Amino acid sequence: MCYDIKRTCIRSMVIKMQIEQNLTIQQKLQILSDAAKYDVACTSSGIDRRGKAGSIGNTLACGICHSFALDGRCVSLLKILFTNECVFDCKYCINRISNDVKRAAFTPEEVCTLTIEFYRRNYIEGLFLSSGILKNPNYTMDLLYQTLYKLRKEYYFVGYIHVKAIPGADEELIRKTGFLADRMSVNLELPTGDGLRALAPHKTRKTILKPMKQIQTGILENKNELMPYNHAPKFVPAGQSTQVIVGATPENDYQIMSVAEALYKNYALKRVFYSAYVAVNTDSMLPSLPDGPPLLREHRLYQADWLLRYYGFEAAELLSPERPNFNVLLDPKCEWAVRHLEIFPVEVNRADYQTLLRVPGIGVKSAQRIVRARKSAKLDFSDLKRLGVVLKRAVYFITCMGRMQYPIRIEENFITHNLIHSDRKQLYGLQERESFTQMSLFDDFHLTVPPLVEDKKLSALGEL
Amino acid sequence: MRVYVCEDSFEGLMTAVYSAWADKLGHKNVRLELEGEYNLQLFAEYVSVKPDKEKTEKVIRKLLNISEEVFTCVYRAAMSKEKEKADKIYHFIVLAVYAGPEIMKQLGNPVVMDVFELARKVMNEAHRFLQFVRFEELENKILFSKIAPKSYVLTLIAPHFEDRLMGENWIIYDEVHKMAAVHVKNAQWALVDTEISMGDSAKKESAENRKYEELWKLFFHTIGIEARKNPKCQQNFLPLWYRKNMLEFDQQEK
Repeated sequence: MCYDIKRTCIRSMVIKMQIEQNLTIQQKLQILSDAAKYDVACTSSGIDRRGKAGSIGNTLACGICHSFALDGRCVSLLKILFTNECVFDCKYCINRISNDVKRAAFTPEEVCTLTIEFYRRNYIEGLFLSSGILKNPNYTMDLLYQTLYKLRKEYYFVGYIHVKAIPGADEELIRKTGFLADRMSVNLELPTGDGLRALAPHKTRKTILKPMKQIQTGILENKNELMPYNHAPKFVPAGQSTQVIVGATPENDYQIMSVAEALYKNYALKRVFYSAYVAVNTDSMLPSLPDGPPLLREHRLYQADWLLRYYGFEAAELLSPERPNFNVLLDPKCEWAVRHLEIFPVEVNRADYQTLLRVPGIGVKSAQRIVRARKSAKLDFSDLKRLGVVLKRAVYFITCMGRMQYPIRIEENFITHNLIHSDRKQLYGLQERESFTQMSLFDDFHLTVPPLVEDKKLSALGEL
Repeated sequence: MRVYVCEDSFEGLMTAVYSAWADKLGHKNVRLELEGEYNLQLFAEYVSVKPDKEKTEKVIRKLLNISEEVFTCVYRAAMSKEKEKADKIYHFIVLAVYAGPEIMKQLGNPVVMDVFELARKVMNEAHRFLQFVRFEELENKILFSKIAPKSYVLTLIAPHFEDRLMGENWIIYDEVHKMAAVHVKNAQWALVDTEISMGDSAKKESAENRKYEELWKLFFHTIGIEARKNPKCQQNFLPLWYRKNMLEFDQQEK
């Protein structure tokens, strides 16, 4: 009896998993772009390539965003899944086998025409192709390879292609695909092995890191090859990236940043993307997020990520096991600065480039401009403003010709207080939460939330 | 004080720069002004300058002699929408001639910074149009796009599309400044001063075009995540005025 039920269950699952036939291209695009939208990487940067006669497309190292969706994320590539059928059962994923969603699959031909026709009209910068696991990893990877091959060799597409390497797929398949793509990525999904075991039972740290390592060595070998033979085919020339889901498992920011740092150092990744967990499934293993996805936390992680990649910071400088999470009210750079007041104020006309980079309000561009401009003249605060320095934050940390702009007490509490109150809190939805904007971290500790209107109503009606 | 009034074109500007310099009145005693609206000044003599190819070439040669970077900067600034650009560019050129290529480092100098700022703003706008130009396919397979930029970005964006869409016939029409960049398959693009009326009978979209436009709109509207909705952030990256010729924002506007 029990056995019977199990069998029908499995059979119904098999039936459910079948890809619906006779879907129109509209329906397929809707299903497969909807299924792909939770992947954050949509950059088209990292490689300059001129167009070729007889082909279509080129790429720009800076990348180009062609539109911005309602969530403010850039739409640069045609981001689709090849198929949303999947034999895996990752708890957080909308396409897991146990979900009853409409399943569809493109043909390589359809993907190619869509890409070319969108590209000609300047809607997109190229293709982002990912896929659920159809049958097995090798079968899926081969489909992706076939599609890319067709697009590059039959449609002569020279634009940007970002493709996923399927964990567990054959090395040779990944290698072949890498020579057709600009960027490859393998998603780390969850920052620690424990999280992965809990939420993605079919994936392991090993199967994810293996293709990552392979791509890294491939890129390195290819670079050595390219030196003597300039026209050798390029392997993943725009580098590889990965994605980490934030907020689905209990890891803290320090753990996540350490993982990201290790990935940059050991796997030479171009980017690590952070994706605030969006509750698409309900599962006892998953957290419930009544306030929506942890967007502010994601934002802080991205800020810190930039500090790692462009500002010469290390994860251990920003966070520590004792203080494992980022400040809600201050960005990571300001927070670091107020805790290291011993090196401030910095003299703008003398400080070296690395030191300038550490000053809140001075970014990579303005630091470079300062270094360039001070060769010909001494800089003053008004000059700095013209060079693009955000004085609102920088004034507390710099001197121009030995003088600060205002008499400022170099004192942690004082500066923190001022920084918090000049910060733009309206971004990232902070203005809606009254308790946030009203709070002043060091003067008063009104941490209790005032009663809401609903509470007052309820108490008036005697229900509370 | 003598004020040189010139046409709002690169040739017009360069001719005015040449004339203002050649008349040897002293740099403090001349001012450049664009044709159109400006405030008349008492005790000033107004001279209208006609664009002159030879004079323009002389100025260009001089600028290129200083450095290519200086020329590029001046050219970009000259494409700006700002009314005071002519005078700013003149004073920048005066400085550049004396300071040489080092001028590009004097970012603290307000004269230099003014022109840098003009150039930077123009390039930012040009980049936005690389992003947001939308082509539609006409019956005869020509790709047609209409844009409404504030600055003269056409000459700055056309090379990009020439490289990218080499094998296509395409037109980008700037409806504000009434000019178009026209590209014929595998040939060089050309700038044409023209007015294309939108009710033109020749401008009929191809049979396939509507299908892909609908597909794009569908894609665009599915790719956003509802739980992360953030119109403010969207508007930061894609200000409303860019949206008027973008098909994916059609319904929202109406």
